[in-house]
Amino acid sequence: MSEHRFTRLESGALLARFAPVEADLLRLATSQLVDMLAAGAENPQLAASDGVFGRLLPDAYRDDDEAAAEFRRFTATGLLERKAQNAQILLGSLGDAADSGSDTNANRRPVTISLDDGAVQAWLRSLTDLRLTLAERLQISPDGVVQLDGDDTPFLRELYEWLGMLQEELVYTIDV
Amino acid sequence: MTKTAEHTELREAVSLDRPWVTLVWDDPVNLMSYVAYVFRSYFGVTPKQAERLMLQVHNNGRAVVATGNRESMERHVEAMHGYGLMATLAKADE
Repeated sequence: MSEHRFTRLESGALLARFAPVEADLLRLATSQLVDMLAAGAENPQLAASDGVFGRLLPDAYRDDDEAAAEFRRFTATGLLERKAQNAQILLGSLGDAADSGSDTNANRRPVTISLDDGAVQAWLRSLTDLRLTLAERLQISPDGVVQLDGDDTPFLRELYEWLGMLQEELVYTIDV
Repeated sequence: MTKTAEHTELREAVSLDRPWVTLVWDDPVNLMSYVAYVFRSYFGVTPKQAERLMLQVHNNGRAVVATGNRESMERHVEAMHGYGLMATLAKADE
């Protein structure tokens, strides 16, 4: 676990390495993001609502509601589509759950994947969307305090922090 | 009198051409390293400039990251939303 999750190869490609349980978790969270984005794409009313979509598609104008609505009309569909594509790319690079799941738990080997530049960009954006979504569920205040007080708070919080660590590692690996 | 009228017209013309700005706002979720990376890779600024802009966002709550006409600022804001950053556009301060 102390090993680096991301390594830059001499060829320029990026190698990512996850414990099976990490890959499962990332797959699960990302599939939920895909479902949520699909729901938003099918229902513009939902996509224009506050909450998580309000954060994924924030107002482009602070003191002009009309201009903000107009901007949303022209950009929301494309932004949601690209966010969904990014999440699909992330899922795709993690591969099927089946090839690791066929083994017994004890035998499961780390998941090693190679990411090209396009995939890295998709990962960066999708990890952000995952964290924004989780932050909304955790009701994180503007000064960064978790306000959700529920049974799933510890798990969601841990996932949120883990995704942050993952993203930080990815940024440091590419931003040299 | 004529001079004054001319002067007013000129002022109006200037104010119509007043440029727009793209603002990025602080939020509790995005990592400082990621925000600096976005400024560097999207706007093509130097690592030093990216760091300075990121710290402005972090310390002042917002920073102007681009200036230009309305259409190009809308493009930047859309791109920033693609990255998950809080961004808006507005007319530049007089």
